[in-house]
Amino acid sequence: MDIIQHVPIIMIALPVFFAAFTILFRSKSGLQKALNVGVFALLFILSLRLLFYVWDNGILVYEVGEWGKYGILLVADLLGAGMVVLSSLISLMAMIYATDYMDRKALDATFFPLFNLMAAGLNGIFLTGDIFNMFVFFEILVLSSCGLIVLTGRGDHTKMADKLEAIFKYLILNIVSITLMLVAIASLYATVGTLNMADIAVKVAYLAEAGTLPWHFHVIAMTLIVVFGYKAAMFPLHFWLADVHPSAPAPIHAMLSGMVIKVGVYGILRVHYLIFNETMFMLQPILILLSLITIAVGATSAIGQYDLKRMLAYSSVSQIGYVLLGVGMGTAYALTAAIVYLVNHAVAKSMLFLATGETLYHAGTKDIRKMGGFAKSSPFLGSIFLIGAMSIAGLPPTGGFFSKLVLFDAGLSSEYYVPVAIALIFAIFTLFYLFRTWLAIFWGEIKDTDKADAYAGRNPTVAIKVALAFLACVVIYMGVYPEHLLSLSGTIAEQLLDPQPYITAVLERSVR
Amino acid sequence: MTTLIAKTVSKACVPIIILFSISLLLAGHNYPGGGFIGGVMFASAISLLYIVFGLKYIDSLYRYRWDKWFAAGLMLATLTGIGAMVFRYNFLRSTYLTVSLPLLGDIKLISTTLFDLGVYLVVTGSLLFVFKTMGEDE
Repeated sequence: MDIIQHVPIIMIALPVFFAAFTILFRSKSGLQKALNVGVFALLFILSLRLLFYVWDNGILVYEVGEWGKYGILLVADLLGAGMVVLSSLISLMAMIYATDYMDRKALDATFFPLFNLMAAGLNGIFLTGDIFNMFVFFEILVLSSCGLIVLTGRGDHTKMADKLEAIFKYLILNIVSITLMLVAIASLYATVGTLNMADIAVKVAYLAEAGTLPWHFHVIAMTLIVVFGYKAAMFPLHFWLADVHPSAPAPIHAMLSGMVIKVGVYGILRVHYLIFNETMFMLQPILILLSLITIAVGATSAIGQYDLKRMLAYSSVSQIGYVLLGVGMGTAYALTAAIVYLVNHAVAKSMLFLATGETLYHAGTKDIRKMGGFAKSSPFLGSIFLIGAMSIAGLPPTGGFFSKLVLFDAGLSSEYYVPVAIALIFAIFTLFYLFRTWLAIFWGEIKDTDKADAYAGRNPTVAIKVALAFLACVVIYMGVYPEHLLSLSGTIAEQLLDPQPYITAVLERSVR
Repeated sequence: MTTLIAKTVSKACVPIIILFSISLLLAGHNYPGGGFIGGVMFASAISLLYIVFGLKYIDSLYRYRWDKWFAAGLMLATLTGIGAMVFRYNFLRSTYLTVSLPLLGDIKLISTTLFDLGVYLVVTGSLLFVFKTMGEDE
């Protein structure tokens, strides 16, 4: 067996191993930094290899422990492998950034072990072929991110009491949502008697064909929409995000808003388009309606904020609405658009959050009204922030332009005129609040002239510059050569709408 | 809780509980038991010592770093999985070896035991770490 075929489990096992390893050597920060950057770079390279392998050779199925027909499976299809590449890219950049950004105390305490566990949880969710394992990885992700939010970095002006309050909300609400997920999985298991997602899909198709699909099947689908919608901060369940995400230090904020809320979208794409095909006709109008409200609520809340991190958190709520709009429209083209949007938003938003963390450190405050004129004291941050804002607002030549273009085009070609019109209006809101913020922070004269000398002393270090510049290059690359991402997303969307190859790969594999 | 009765009883009980937890760990492959149950039982035995004799007294004898146990266990469990990959099998594939020993007869040595030992250490380490940190917090 070639080493490349072991990559799905390596993506999970390696971070878990290093989570343990870094606990043993907690006090040696220098070693830890080099080691962890190395590990995450390796994971990124392996994930790219995995994506190319899956692109060339089709879906890769990995049996953990070789338990035979009914063991635990990892399935790397294009969607899973693509999401793993995305999460590895962002976690590598967040890790490089964090080595200089986080406080010494945080690095010595629990940052490295928990960050490794978080990466393992993310990769596990994207690669597992078993719905109960997905639940387990959700738990790993939630618990490790709770521990990461309390840590402090240098641009982090949140009080510890606020952080603890935020974590309390996050933990309690997550326990509620994850219990709902467990109930849904248990009822699914009671209905079809298997936990393997491909097997569930086959059995559900039999039941639907025979006309004996029980009514509670639709309830399970709705419950899982609630769970994934909670993770993705969909409208009635978005309220926790603006409290929790801004309390986290910048690298963790980038991971949470860049990747962790995308997990909910991934869950809908994977579970609902594979298993709940029979129910999607009911869920799609609900998804479209809720995503439009999400867009509107997020954008209008963002306009009224003077706290930079809070404003961007509300912007995340609004942007995830666009992704869910594409998921809700449900045609092949709309799903392509949703995936393109998801990737672009993940990269641009995490870059913007990393830049924000550094801007807040530069300013010494988190109130936008007290900032101004930073284009003089830190032109680098100004340009990075501008690229991020352009991508989120959807201006060329950044990736965000194509994601919005494709999404609106997909909506128009499926004759969803009203949703597209509403989404377009709030896209203008996005443009307004992001550029107002950029102008307020970087343009004009320095407002606090006493602090002018202090600003000059607080500039990004080399590691931070490297992470930001790399992400900026990716954003520009996705804007200049959008066809690479478009063709990949198109294939992913076709695979989602026709899950037969996935099912065949999982169920009709040769068992050693 | 430091009465004479509690001290005497726990002195007698703790070794028995620890032995029983180890027997649960080793029986786990074929019979009820396993790393998790054994680990919980070991942790409860140690926490009995902490409660009866007091944290400070136990720490003055030997100051255990339970988080290291946790890390060692997690590393052992992961390495068991990775070890199978070295022999060109899939992650966590287990195998066994039958050895004949005088007096004891045939004994099956199963590689999963190492994984179970890792779980045992993880459970023990994490429970006692939480327990001790909570106890030290005044």
